[in-house]
Amino acid sequence: MTFTTAFSISKPVITIWVITAVLTILSIFATRKLKDVPGPMQNVAEAAVEKLEDFFGGILGYKNMRRYFPLFGTLFIFIVMSNYSGLLPAAGEAFSVPTACLSVTAALAVISFFTTHTIGIQNRGAGGYAMSFLKPFALMLPLTLIDQVVRPFSLALRLYGNIYAEEMVTSQLRSMFPVLLPLVMQVLSLLFCLIQAMVFTMLTAVYVHEAIGDEE
Amino acid sequence: MTASALIALAAALAVAISTIGPGIGQGIAASKAMEAMARQPEMAGTIRTSMILALALMEALTIYGLLIAFMLISKM
Repeated sequence: MTFTTAFSISKPVITIWVITAVLTILSIFATRKLKDVPGPMQNVAEAAVEKLEDFFGGILGYKNMRRYFPLFGTLFIFIVMSNYSGLLPAAGEAFSVPTACLSVTAALAVISFFTTHTIGIQNRGAGGYAMSFLKPFALMLPLTLIDQVVRPFSLALRLYGNIYAEEMVTSQLRSMFPVLLPLVMQVLSLLFCLIQAMVFTMLTAVYVHEAIGDEE
Repeated sequence: MTASALIALAAALAVAISTIGPGIGQGIAASKAMEAMARQPEMAGTIRTSMILALALMEALTIYGLLIAFMLISKM
């Protein structure tokens, strides 16, 4: 791979920029003038944040959830928006779904991998965290290590595989019969995209919970 | 058969066969979760969360098949 191809601006990159810009502008407008009686924008934002807090609070417990909420909230909202970007009118020409590109999901998985271990070391200290790998008994160490290494791969490939397959099926249906047939898959994809984003963030939260350990 | 034809066949089989087991497992898990939800509708939220988690972990096996298929295709 030459320098120019490695740093060329591809369709997924443009889509990520657009998603980032839209999310940033929406968040600024939703939180610019906070009121006791919320307007429509603030209402939607509050509902979304409360739902996410409930969801992650169920996994991590309230205290840890508050501490790491920015990370999980951002991951979830970003993945949902990128999955849904396949429904945009210009999808395929100007835009392409970022999560249907293995590099993007691999980057997300790398974030999740380092977050997990950083939080583990922060909470238990390097020695304590290393000892937690010997937890049930020391003979399990190779299996635990393989498990830890395989996790980012399975996270990245799960998101990529599901979204890529769904995009491929939609485009194949479109080439067969362009009028109503892709609609069937697109309606289903409304559900699948949400579930895949949920699975990714939920697994990250479970791994983080495991790394923090039981002590409160 | 040429080597690349064999690799293509192997990649297809890697995905196809590794789908069978998780498919059966996910079916069993989902049906049991639905039974539990019908019996105790007030626990539906918790059961749904753990069901999705279990399904995702089962899906990992198919994902490994997919990974092997990608590795095979890159050797083509």
